[in-house]
Amino acid sequence: MELLITALIIAAVLFGIGLYGALSQTNLVMIMMGIELMLGAAMINLVAFWRFLHPDAFSLQMFVLVAMTVMALEGAVGFAIATQRFRTSGTVEMEESAELKG
Amino acid sequence: MISLQLILLIIFGLVAIWFGWRVFMTSSMVRSALSLLASMVAIGILFLVMEAEFLGVLQIMMMGTEMSIMAIFMMMYMMDPGGLGQMDMYHQKNISIAAGVIVTVLIVGAALTTDWGTIATQFPGPHEQNRLLGMEILKRSMMIFETAGVTILTGMIASIAVALSIKNSVEK
Repeated sequence: MELLITALIIAAVLFGIGLYGALSQTNLVMIMMGIELMLGAAMINLVAFWRFLHPDAFSLQMFVLVAMTVMALEGAVGFAIATQRFRTSGTVEMEESAELKG
Repeated sequence: MISLQLILLIIFGLVAIWFGWRVFMTSSMVRSALSLLASMVAIGILFLVMEAEFLGVLQIMMMGTEMSIMAIFMMMYMMDPGGLGQMDMYHQKNISIAAGVIVTVLIVGAALTTDWGTIATQFPGPHEQNRLLGMEILKRSMMIFETAGVTILTGMIASIAVALSIKNSVEK
């Protein structure tokens, strides 16, 4: 039981750090780094649940693969937005991005 | 009794947390990206410690490439790879710290108070795991796997479309 709890606590702390980063950073790439940390924490949880609770349920490992796909896509689309943002305004600081503000 | 698995889990968990924290504590973009790479590799090693060998190796390989690309992009955007500029890239810092701490405490509380039932002691070995994951992908989860593939393709097209120069697309 202590193995599962340890893994869940590690994931919880990583998720908290990622959330702090995603909320506190003004740079788009740093915000993406926070989101990546949160997804990493979610993956630790999934692997821990698979290993310690349901080692016969491989849909959990499948879910980790889906989370990795989400991570890669988040990186690709995020960098595309950052590139376009850099082209139009010369910066990736999100504090200055208020064009869509109603 | 403290097992070797628990010791390794704690060590690499602390490594992942330390480097995860360092991502937001350095003013150098490259150091941030490399710290995130170290944190993600530590997460991959955690997978190996939890005996999910395939996922662990996949995580380390994927994150190695992704974070290297991230470091290059960071240098291109910030033009300050050494962190000499002492940039202030924070806003709503206190709210963010409060949100991070509250969410962490809530999740830890949930983890500690939940009745997780019996812990599995028998699990398939690496060879059997790969076979069973392959069967899962090609049978029950095939539609999800196919959807992930199509989503990656869509993401690739969307990324290229978004990153294209606006000027060129208007001219055409």
